[in-house]
Amino acid sequence: MRRPDMRMNRLFALAAAMVVVLAACSSSGTTPAPSAASAAPSAAASEAASAAPSSAAPSEAAKAEVRIGSDNFYESKLMAELYAQALEHAGYTVTRQFGLGSRQTRVPIFTKGLVDLVPEYVGSGLGYYDKTLVTGDGEANRTALQAQYDKADNLATVLAIAPGQDTNAAVVRQDTAASLNLTKMSDLAAVQDKLKWGLPPDCDKNPLCKDALESYGIKYPPKVRRALAACDAPIAQALQGKAIDFAWLCSTQPAIAQFGFKVLDDDKKTQPAENLAPVVRNDYLAKVDKAAFSAVLDAVSAKMTTDELTKLGVKVGVDNEDLEDVAKQWLTDNGLLS
Amino acid sequence: MPDILGWLLDPINWSGPEGIPSRLIEHLQICLLAVGTATAIGLPVGLYVGHTGRFAGLAINLANIGRAVPSYALMVGILPIALNLAPSVGYDPDLGLTFLPLFLAMTLLAIPPILVATYAGLREVDRDLIEAGRGMGLTERQILGRLEVPLAVPVIIGGFRTSTLQVIATATIGAILSFGGLGRFIIDGLANKDDAMLFAGAVLVTVLALLVDAVLAVVQRVLTPRALRGKPAPRRPSDDDDEDRIDPAMFGVRTVDVSA
Repeated sequence: MRRPDMRMNRLFALAAAMVVVLAACSSSGTTPAPSAASAAPSAAASEAASAAPSSAAPSEAAKAEVRIGSDNFYESKLMAELYAQALEHAGYTVTRQFGLGSRQTRVPIFTKGLVDLVPEYVGSGLGYYDKTLVTGDGEANRTALQAQYDKADNLATVLAIAPGQDTNAAVVRQDTAASLNLTKMSDLAAVQDKLKWGLPPDCDKNPLCKDALESYGIKYPPKVRRALAACDAPIAQALQGKAIDFAWLCSTQPAIAQFGFKVLDDDKKTQPAENLAPVVRNDYLAKVDKAAFSAVLDAVSAKMTTDELTKLGVKVGVDNEDLEDVAKQWLTDNGLLS
Repeated sequence: MPDILGWLLDPINWSGPEGIPSRLIEHLQICLLAVGTATAIGLPVGLYVGHTGRFAGLAINLANIGRAVPSYALMVGILPIALNLAPSVGYDPDLGLTFLPLFLAMTLLAIPPILVATYAGLREVDRDLIEAGRGMGLTERQILGRLEVPLAVPVIIGGFRTSTLQVIATATIGAILSFGGLGRFIIDGLANKDDAMLFAGAVLVTVLALLVDAVLAVVQRVLTPRALRGKPAPRRPSDDDDEDRIDPAMFGVRTVDVSA
């Protein structure tokens, strides 16, 4: 009877470990962001109200402290950390307020002046204000987003966009791409019946899914389709495991680099351009030398391609490397800390 | 308030491969398969540990892992394995996506109530009866078949009912991995912000679960030996509710001393 007991103890230990893991997961899911968001406004709003009108002249504090925020997922945090370290290297004092939730909670926090700088996706950032203005051109989206901030009491400035973007990506396996000669989405219509399609459950009503596919001449719905949420782990695993041959992922999703998927070129620009750009409050920019401050951030953005974003995503999301270390290494490798 | 009734009465939703009848059949098929497999595993094991008293703690705790781990986590956790095994074992990877993870997660969820209830039902049988049986020269097999099982039938079917209820509700998560079934309406309703579809899906699952449970309640009553009908459970100490029906979940779960 000794052995079964020991086995049972191990099982209990395993079960206990699982419970701890699950508890950890759920607690990291509910970030401190909402409480920070709900607790802070009264104090900080008044602070902002008093600070904004009497914004100091640039000469007084040329390198004023900058409060950097981010959304609650690794890519946003990573960009925020990159900007933070570059600014620290340039002599600015940085306060990090990462993980402010999703755009729904983060935009009000930024608007109230609780943070000075956030990394933003120009497509979705613009879509937050007006979905109909979003285009497949990153620079156009940046200009339109800037116009929204101009309308909102000249709130903020959208600095130069990075070439890197995280948008919806039509993805196939390398073996499919090779055997059917697929490089761009226009190539799909001719072979559509040879593919098992992984499409999100809202595809029928989503113009970025159904309408986009139809604009490439694909008959919708395709013969074989499986309903799987886009950008999720199961759809990537299903593609890798050959249960499907086509999947909608996010263009910087670590799975793309991890499994070596082929991203098909969206040659008709059906998907919104989601280039990353730092958005900075104008009341903060008034306190610093705007040109010098922007130059620091622009240098970082300029080097950040979609490939680089994906690689960094694998390090943070798959290899579980420390976000700060990854950011520092990348900045060093790109000569931005010298 | 979404127009749930309007959605349910719309003839469009009652036809074709994506209509309610075909989704209902898909739903029932996988539930039947999961409960069937769970019975094939849980019942014999429960009978063995219940009759002999051997390995009871081990079997029950092992089985309870299936109940403790969330089915969703189990399903998503099984997915990569089910997909990766497809080429080597030689099944269609589509099965590894739409069927195997859900089926295994549901089966693991369905085993514990059946196993535990079977064990508990047998242990509840009066020891004096069994001794008397032995005294009369019954073999162990006869004791199990003629004494223990008939007396334990209400409790065993109670476990079966619990298991079936859980499985009917849980089959809905299969829609996340593109399985059909009634969960399709819930997941698609969520994704499309179609609240009428979402709630109608939930209503359909609930009604199905209650209907199936009602049928099983009748089965339970019919299979219960005449002498036990209309009475509280045999030798059930401190009966605090006076329903004449045996409450399977409470009975099956509460009376098991796991540390034994």
